[in-house]
Amino acid sequence: MAASISLSIDSDLDKVSLVARAVRSLCTDVLGADELDAVELSLVEAINNVIKHGYHGESGKDVQVSVALQPGQVVIEIIDHAPPMPAQVLEKDSEDPFAFDETDLANIPEGGMGLALIHMNMDEVEYHSGEAENRLRMVKRVSPSPT
Amino acid sequence: MLSTDQRGNILVVQVEEKRIDASKAPIFKDEMTRCIEGGQNQIVLDLSRVDFIDSSGLGALVSCLKRLGPRGSLAVAGATGAVSRLFTLTRMDRVFALHPNVEAAVEQLSA
Repeated sequence: MAASISLSIDSDLDKVSLVARAVRSLCTDVLGADELDAVELSLVEAINNVIKHGYHGESGKDVQVSVALQPGQVVIEIIDHAPPMPAQVLEKDSEDPFAFDETDLANIPEGGMGLALIHMNMDEVEYHSGEAENRLRMVKRVSPSPT
Repeated sequence: MLSTDQRGNILVVQVEEKRIDASKAPIFKDEMTRCIEGGQNQIVLDLSRVDFIDSSGLGALVSCLKRLGPRGSLAVAGATGAVSRLFTLTRMDRVFALHPNVEAAVEQLSA
């Protein structure tokens, strides 16, 4: 089985849950419950980043999501036309936001967690910036069922 | 998006939305801040109706905890599925006391 679909929303935070719920439904035949949670969270974080940082919260811009259901995996691409993410933001090895000291209340993070969550939840994450668009490609593979 | 129930010195706050995401986090934070500034400092947050929280929602919870300060308590009750998973994944389960239900959380805070 291989099938793909494109969805698009206006760059409005109120619309993100619509596309998240749609993509979750699309993936139910391929993925298990934990994997669906992982995909939904990663998708929401990625779109929030595009709207908040790429488009600076401005509505009326385009956010496209393409979903490809392939044997054993789901490939999701988020396409936007905002200025590209700065390279240093993408450094996977940059600080782990969750390595905080829980006894130090002031330094528990309130933000900056989105990209780290995407990397933790997806099997592959790639970002491409072209002349016309940015494309974040994320792959979630079906984990072998426990025997 | 919140409803409250005072039990002695403990305020039980139920989140009535199914999602605390980037679009709802600011309202959540405002309503919680109003409770805290009204003098509540022992709070049980009932998440049993919530099925999704993103990092913005989680950040709003952390912000409330900071506002409560070291003498206040914010216990979380009824987190399941993706919500419970997010707390574990982000290690926020070390920051917030997680309880299976409101009764267990109230009992813990009263002890």
